[in-house]
Amino acid sequence: MTPKPLPSLIAVIDIGTYKTASLLGQIIDGKARMLSFSERRTDGVVKGTVTDLEKLTQCVHEVVNDIERGSGRAVEQVYLSLSGPAAEGERVKGFVAVPAHDGKITAKDVTDAILSAKRLEPPSGRATILYMRQPTMLDNRPVSNPVGMAGKRLEVNFWRVTMEEGNMRMRVGMVNGMSIKVRDFILASHAAACATASDADKQGVLVIDMGAGTTDWILYYKEHILCAGSIPVGGEHLTNDLSVALRISRETAEDLKLRFGSAMHRENDVNQTIWKDGDKGVGDQQFNRGTITQVLSLRYQETIEFVRKDVLRRLEAIFPGHAVKLDQNMIPSGVILTGGSASLADAAEAVQQVTGLSARVGVPNFENESLRKPEYAGVVGLMTAAIADAPPPVRRPSGFLAQLKELFRL
Amino acid sequence: MSTPASILLVGLGGAGCSMVTRLSAQLPAEIAVALLDTDARSLPAGTAATLQLGRAQTRGMGTGGEAALGLASAESEEAALRRLFTGIPVVVLVTGLGGGTGSGAASVVAGLAAECGATVLSFATMPFSHEGERRMRQANDATVKLGQKCHGLVVVHNDLLLQQVSPDAPLSESFAAADNWVGGALRGLASAFAPGALIAVDPAALRSLLSTPGSPTLFAFGIGEGEGAAMKAARAACDCPLAHAPGAVAKVASLFVTVAGGSAMTSTEAFEAVAAVRARFGGETSTVLCARIDSALGDRIEVSVLGASLPAPKAPAKPKKGAKAEDPAQPIFEFATEESMRRGLFGGTPMTFIDGQDVDVPAYIRKAVRLPASP
Repeated sequence: MTPKPLPSLIAVIDIGTYKTASLLGQIIDGKARMLSFSERRTDGVVKGTVTDLEKLTQCVHEVVNDIERGSGRAVEQVYLSLSGPAAEGERVKGFVAVPAHDGKITAKDVTDAILSAKRLEPPSGRATILYMRQPTMLDNRPVSNPVGMAGKRLEVNFWRVTMEEGNMRMRVGMVNGMSIKVRDFILASHAAACATASDADKQGVLVIDMGAGTTDWILYYKEHILCAGSIPVGGEHLTNDLSVALRISRETAEDLKLRFGSAMHRENDVNQTIWKDGDKGVGDQQFNRGTITQVLSLRYQETIEFVRKDVLRRLEAIFPGHAVKLDQNMIPSGVILTGGSASLADAAEAVQQVTGLSARVGVPNFENESLRKPEYAGVVGLMTAAIADAPPPVRRPSGFLAQLKELFRL
Repeated sequence: MSTPASILLVGLGGAGCSMVTRLSAQLPAEIAVALLDTDARSLPAGTAATLQLGRAQTRGMGTGGEAALGLASAESEEAALRRLFTGIPVVVLVTGLGGGTGSGAASVVAGLAAECGATVLSFATMPFSHEGERRMRQANDATVKLGQKCHGLVVVHNDLLLQQVSPDAPLSESFAAADNWVGGALRGLASAFAPGALIAVDPAALRSLLSTPGSPTLFAFGIGEGEGAAMKAARAACDCPLAHAPGAVAKVASLFVTVAGGSAMTSTEAFEAVAAVRARFGGETSTVLCARIDSALGDRIEVSVLGASLPAPKAPAKPKKGAKAEDPAQPIFEFATEESMRRGLFGGTPMTFIDGQDVDVPAYIRKAVRLPASP
């Protein structure tokens, strides 16, 4: 594989339920230098699902205009993030039986195995968005580069992400409307991991990216993506629960969540009285902090529990018949929390309690200080992943839609 | 029935019938009782008027949870239902949503009663979250339809009632708690019309309170005992989980407050309790008070509150000349559906189910956790 030259400019767009962020970077020596950044309140997305395409398109156009104006450069192609339940992942397998006469693996054997994995058609009505390489197995043992090694059965695995065709076309079309091409899709959780997890972490780490509408997770094992998933619950649900419990507006609930919220409910909270505005003026209201932390901690911990169950369910699908356990042995680096909701007080402690794994809040590793916040792990990670993944793993479009997709990115 | 009763209490479906049957023994004579179900076993021969729905559709076997079957069963008995409701000014419909008969037939029964000229107040229980996705969807659909048909709808979330039960109580106990709650609420309401009232009201008060179909309805109930029982009861009513259900109406224009107590209760006490209730729930336009002495209550005092607001803000100040007057019976904007109330900001979005639970409903409600009291 000869790497395609990296473009000197990379633009990424992270469309979230709450915010749409875009970053334009100049690539110098494989590192991104920020040229401009823009974020705007997303319109037209609920729980990670597009509900109003027109509004969302306008929002995407605005951020692109922002970064073009901010940098004075024209954007020609972008990387788009992919999150939420619309992007469904599964493991696909391809293998070749190595001819017995010499038993040495050739590059052609590897290509054949890859092609046999990618020949598997996605479920009808869905298009393959991306393949992420998983460990190559030679006679059931993981190897990093099998070429030249001796063996009988070569197996390559991919984590394949598919999306409903109409949904994919819609997303591509949204960007094409500005005469900009979609260079590639990047899984949002993968991006968050790229921004916050080191290579050492990727020996075993679970990255949980809790945005406003969805909570996306990805599990790395021995430097490869083992599986990924998404729960349609996010920070908006925290706000919603609080607004229902205290009968306050969404804005007030959001504000109280940030100022007094916690992912842990402690006995002591019940004795604290807090003021909504703090000026004790007309319209100010008193609340029991215990109510706030009780409501938020129940939702937060439940969401993490959903993630834990989803991880186990997917692992059981990959390793049927094995008793899979999520523990520090399998995941030595524990959990890294990213996304807006990672900033909720005591988030790491709550995750630790629910999963039994060590947990920390992930801050994206980026030269620009203003983006070193967990909520920007997604957009920063898109940049990191775009640099690291270019060129993306060898892929041949199979099927009409994949070719169609290829056309869009020409 | 020799003389037409002023209020007809109707139990619909298995849950509705069992609640009404249990209550019927304690009801004053002014209140007649009718039981409607598809399952013949829920309809005991006795004092209550009974009507078996859908004999042709279900052959007395119940609906097996099919709302469509419940709907068809009720429609097939339209003539009998009309006969039942004719000449009754107030119909109180009690039903459990989620199953087939309640979910399917409730809106038909309420609609027929309203067409016959009755003011219809419905009490509907929502299934527990752990009863699963299908029942919850069925119940949500049914509340939307029911809300459009009746003048007042009080939705009782079984999840919320569960908060009143200790967390490790068996399931049977949580169902019993739900029954008790609705029972207590209905008794409070019914007692308003019983003889022996200190300050009496007649069913017309209820009619004027619930004048418009689809009005947001508030219901609260509280019991106090011993020293300062009236205030205790009023405070309990203010903290009543029914009034704190997500999206329940916070303040209403018109209130109907019933205070019932033993012979020691004074009218001063009753007025104090009403003042406390008004401070919490409003009632600026009108507050109807009913006080009643019931020696069986001893030193206990019960306060029940029913309130309603008009469903729409006032029409524009200067209506155009010659413009058609709006039909007051027509809800001006869509009834705030139970679904949107319960799911807060996510009302109107498709439900998202994980492990059979609609995860857009706040976690604390589904887990039936009682929140610390507000300061």
